[in-house]
Amino acid sequence: MHRITHKPGSSRRRDGATMDGRPGRLAAYLRFLGVSFVVNVQAVVEYRVNFLAQVFGMMLNNAAFALFWGMLIGKVGNIGGYGFDDVMLIWALVSTSFGLAHVVFGNVRSLGRIIQRGELDLYLLQPKDAMLNVLASKTVVSAWGDFAYGFLVLGLLPGFGLERLALFCALSITGAMIFAATFAAAESLCFFLGDSSGISSAVTEFLLSFSLYPETVFDRGMRWVFYTLLPSGFIAFVPLAAIKSLGWPAVALLAAIALLYCAASYGFFRLGLRRYESGNQMGARL
Amino acid sequence: MSLRLKARKYGVAALASMRNRTAYMGSLLGDALSYALFVFVFSRVWTAAYAGRDEIAGYGLQQMIWYFIVAEIPAFGFGRFFSTLAEDIKSGQVAYLTARPYGFVGYGYAQGMGKAAVDCAIYVALGLALGLVLAGPVPSGPPLRAAAVLASLAAAGSIQYLLQLALAMTAFWAEENSAFFWIYQKLKLIVGTLLPIEFLPEAARRIAAWTPFPSLSYAPARLFAAWPGDGAALALIGTQLAWASIAVLACQAIYALGRARLTVNGG
Repeated sequence: MHRITHKPGSSRRRDGATMDGRPGRLAAYLRFLGVSFVVNVQAVVEYRVNFLAQVFGMMLNNAAFALFWGMLIGKVGNIGGYGFDDVMLIWALVSTSFGLAHVVFGNVRSLGRIIQRGELDLYLLQPKDAMLNVLASKTVVSAWGDFAYGFLVLGLLPGFGLERLALFCALSITGAMIFAATFAAAESLCFFLGDSSGISSAVTEFLLSFSLYPETVFDRGMRWVFYTLLPSGFIAFVPLAAIKSLGWPAVALLAAIALLYCAASYGFFRLGLRRYESGNQMGARL
Repeated sequence: MSLRLKARKYGVAALASMRNRTAYMGSLLGDALSYALFVFVFSRVWTAAYAGRDEIAGYGLQQMIWYFIVAEIPAFGFGRFFSTLAEDIKSGQVAYLTARPYGFVGYGYAQGMGKAAVDCAIYVALGLALGLVLAGPVPSGPPLRAAAVLASLAAAGSIQYLLQLALAMTAFWAEENSAFFWIYQKLKLIVGTLLPIEFLPEAARRIAAWTPFPSLSYAPARLFAAWPGDGAALALIGTQLAWASIAVLACQAIYALGRARLTVNGG
């Protein structure tokens, strides 16, 4: 094993530019994300039956919980002030955001394993930014089901309209950014701990579990967590209020917060990258 | 081969599987954490649902939290055999297993139960601790209840394993069979795991009574959280044993049919 020293900002492109904040780079990276996405889609639709089975399977999985909420709220009227439509709107938001994060950044929850096995070498040697490159180099098939499920639920809920759909799309993008940033930061712990799979899977479970249930069922004393370490508040609860009131100003606020989470996650990854040790593994991306 | 020798052979398989499971403590702790998180979240949901109510569908709040704690034990402990079993068949590993001096169904069952026994021991201990903190004292019941719940858990686990094996063996015919498992898994979740079957609409409950789903989580959870009386308890366990027997026969039949389709190439 030998150590690759990789200083933040040293990921210099062929043309000498870095990705730090140059407008031309942003367009190039958006193009890169687009190309990665298309390649990933082509790879998964090659196995059409498997793709469709996983997509519909995931939608079925989510629908089972809709039945649960339907039966429970049918008996009691509401849970902590949340009616059936509110809970379903939360499910729609979280499902589409979670799905989008994994559709575009399919490696987001494999990052720790990739670091641990020394498989990051492959991405460090390529001209694009290592973090973005590794995250975008795969798509998760079942996540397409999550992504579609949110739109299906939104379409079935009362009050559906174009403005609501646009707001939902905007909030799903900020939610996906926050999901991806949080998962990537948890996976980056691997740089420091060696094996952080326990912590990262706990973060996934906790973030999802806290996002999918009404905020009011949890004690007030623990709700600060939803706006810091496990940002369920910015993924589910604030967006829910925004959709109910068609509040566009919340989108700007959430976009700023999402960028902040992404920047923090990126900084954490770059910090960890200094400690990265190569696995001397031969590999190729096809 | 005598019954005693057979029991010893499968006992060794179960023991090896138990040892294998305890060798990976990190994985065990991760699963235990997921179980604890799920119980915690649902205890909050149920507490909110019971605000201003003493009972829903015949269950009090304390009983409902205990119900959920027990219903999740078979769901977590016996619910994840399918993918390994299906993979064994899809990858051709089944050819290696059929050539060994043991029954395919029996050996797999012993292995699965060995692993699940370790998991369930942890979930039972953790569930009791969580229940005492989140729900309060254990609901009242006769002295025989503990034995009845353990027997019911074992029966629930056996049916879960056998049904998953039966579904996995559809890989002899269908290349992609995950969808069958997902449908089974979701029905299981709705019929007795997330909610007692008393929450189902009357028509759905009548249909559910003719399926194995209430035997998978509802039976042990109901016996623990709301003892239905000695006669009804015996009926619940008897129904579970009947479903376990049907599942064994179904597995043997599917295996016999599937094995005939198996083509082994190479060495």
